Amino acid sequence: MASEEAAPGALAGLRVVEVGEWVSAPFAAKLFADFGAEVVKVERAGAGDPARTDGPFPAGRPDPECSGLFLYLNTNKRGVQLDLGEPAGRQALDGLLADADLLITNLPREQLAEAGLQPGALRERHPALLATTITPFGLDGPYADYLGDELVTYAMGGLAYASPGVPDVAEDGEAEPPLHAHAYVADTIGGLVAAVASMVALVGRDATGEGSHVDVSQQAAVTAMEQRDLTAWSYGEIVIGRLPNSIARMPNYYLPCKDGYVALAAPWDHQWARLVTVMGTPEWAQSELFRDDAGRTAHWDALKLFLLEWTMQHDGDEIIRMADTAGLPFFAYYSIAEMAESEHVRARGSLVEQACDGDAFRMPGAPIQMHGTPWALRRRAPRLGEHTDEVLAELEAAAPAAGGAAR
Amino acid sequence: MSAAGASTGAGTSAGAAGAAAARPLPLAGVRVLDFGQVIAMPFGTQWLAWLGAEVLLVESAKHMTARVTPPYVGGVEHHDNSGHFNLLNGSKKSVRIDMATPEGLALLKRLVPLCDVMIDNFKTGVLEKLGLGAEVVRELNPAIVQTSFGAFGRSGPMRTQGGLHSAVNLFSGVAEVTGYAGGMPRILGGVLPDPIAGSYAVFGLLAALRHRRRGGGGQYIDGAMFEGMLSLIPQAVIDLTLNGRAPERIGNRDHRKVPHGIYRAAGDDEWVAIAVDPDVADAGGPDAGRPDAQWRALCRATGREAWADVPRFASAEARRAHEDELDALITAWTRERSPAQATEALQAAGVPAGPVLRPDQLHDDPQLRARGFMVETEHPTGGRRRHPGVPWRASGLQPEYRPAPLLGEHTHEVLTGLLGLTEEEYAELDAAGVLR
Repeated sequence: MASEEAAPGALAGLRVVEVGEWVSAPFAAKLFADFGAEVVKVERAGAGDPARTDGPFPAGRPDPECSGLFLYLNTNKRGVQLDLGEPAGRQALDGLLADADLLITNLPREQLAEAGLQPGALRERHPALLATTITPFGLDGPYADYLGDELVTYAMGGLAYASPGVPDVAEDGEAEPPLHAHAYVADTIGGLVAAVASMVALVGRDATGEGSHVDVSQQAAVTAMEQRDLTAWSYGEIVIGRLPNSIARMPNYYLPCKDGYVALAAPWDHQWARLVTVMGTPEWAQSELFRDDAGRTAHWDALKLFLLEWTMQHDGDEIIRMADTAGLPFFAYYSIAEMAESEHVRARGSLVEQACDGDAFRMPGAPIQMHGTPWALRRRAPRLGEHTDEVLAELEAAAPAAGGAAR
Repeated sequence: MSAAGASTGAGTSAGAAGAAAARPLPLAGVRVLDFGQVIAMPFGTQWLAWLGAEVLLVESAKHMTARVTPPYVGGVEHHDNSGHFNLLNGSKKSVRIDMATPEGLALLKRLVPLCDVMIDNFKTGVLEKLGLGAEVVRELNPAIVQTSFGAFGRSGPMRTQGGLHSAVNLFSGVAEVTGYAGGMPRILGGVLPDPIAGSYAVFGLLAALRHRRRGGGGQYIDGAMFEGMLSLIPQAVIDLTLNGRAPERIGNRDHRKVPHGIYRAAGDDEWVAIAVDPDVADAGGPDAGRPDAQWRALCRATGREAWADVPRFASAEARRAHEDELDALITAWTRERSPAQATEALQAAGVPAGPVLRPDQLHDDPQLRARGFMVETEHPTGGRRRHPGVPWRASGLQPEYRPAPLLGEHTHEVLTGLLGLTEEEYAELDAAGVLR
């Protein structure tokens, strides 16, 4: 049950219905729920949201009620289970929508109709409702029927071509293909953009009272994040990517050191001079070849080996301390364990505690800290169908036909 | 400002422009005091400006970030020539005020009460040093939504550390799950932490404005760019803290889908992404309801029907155990085809696949263009340029795209209009060098 102490969030009173699976729509609805909206998550009859199968699970043992991914993505929501293939289920969903400000769904295009969620029909039944659909490519256009997922939208949104990216470079274009992170990057971006678009629509609706269909293309959402690289093409016909030909000024590079990895950024001549001092003014660094940024860039292969010899003699911490003193914006790699244990993350509460059946873990907390209306874990993610009766009873109280039919 | 350069998107109906003029833009009436630097916050405030907010970008020639970043028009360095600036500041107003002067600070203190939102991503402490710290701002305007982002946020022991996008990435943990098998942690491209931070800023400040419209007060929003990145990797954080398991880098592979990769296509540095979800079942036909439909479709599309019956590929688990061999077989097929050919064959059969698109290809992508996402605006010095717009469409709530301002283009308008300075007062400030 909701903890009584948590202050209402910024979005208190806002009513959201999520018909979402996996990551994008659940993440968008999570942002609303975590900042105070009343979110009802509709899961399909039977197994529910397939994110429940994805873990991580305590001790690696699959349990639909203890999937780490599901528990993260569905905080602060109530959960109902409806069979949208049946008229009664669709009717109950319609009852929920009658009372909602916002629907967020990532059902594929062909399933929207089956669930009774075609934007046009929704608009007729619920003229003030905002309906946000997230699909791989949007609901129209030449690829509207293409199948897309995390990897495909990541590739077709340009992030793959850009990765690894400056100051990191793929030195072997064959052995190091465009790189995807082992995480739901594009799906999370799709959800984040859908949340922003929905929020814009909610604020805009204040003036008109009219509903709208907010049609989010995940490919476009990912492409939007490629702002810098799209600009380089617009203004300079420059293609930025992972290959070394994207290198501008050197050194601005990511290298291993004695106990980890460091990003060295000293491309400007004044920074280079400081770096030379930090390194103890070695003889090689006096070479004419490295005197200005053009020379350092042209002779980067040689320079890199010298720098590597230096970084490999020092711990990341040492290098960063020296760089800080010299006013150089270097940074050392943190593993997730180091990040999670850092004083900074502890002090900010960037990770929050959660548990499933007594197995405690930590997960990302507030992505932004709103001082007036704090982010709060008011409620853990729902068990499958946990609030079906409760929510249908509320519906029945409001409109006897809808709730009764669903049972 | 003249509407001559405005555009509502390429590829959409001509009627959109008329409709946009007839109804208020969704964020009409919201006024933003923008101290955004480089990419992160300018990215967010550009969305606000396109969607109808009046964004007052405070600038000074004494301290510029985006305006001194290439690429420049014709390669000529000039503060109105930066493509980097011009494509991050569309629809905004440029107000040129030297904040470091007492008169400049006084002007800003008169602007704060007239704005709904203030936003910045200076290094932690800069606003305080300038005399516009959170307490001062709140006193000037208790109803304002102050949104302040730093690489590491505005609280915690690392708050004063500067951080390039690489630092944000390397601290967030994202690098640990990014990399080729057995290799070092790598850095995602596209300066991703910046636009992610800008997007979170927009969500937060709009939520705060909605709260305020319903009787709540103003508030302060503290954003740490690394926390935005952290939201990308819940599974890795949970597996570590729940099971003590540190992530392994596995290149482009996945823990669930197989095959899952970015495969060599014909041509120079051409690639195609393929992802087979074993849980998807055939919707109809002889195999209706049987899982692994996408794998069977891949076998059909590549003309390797026999693979579907090979025991070592017969299930996701089996394929994972033989993934090197599987990837080599798929590559032998993809490298004979362009990304477009491979994509068409696989998609027609029912396999999620798509080309790895370069920035120039994104500009021309038929889907992005058909959606009206790639738009064109005309800038006085930059000329006509194509650029991304907002990545969604919403009936009746569309943006309007106008060019970025020239440095100081709206100083006179804002100071004599909104602030009500007389021409004499304005001339005096100008002569005193306050409007540099």
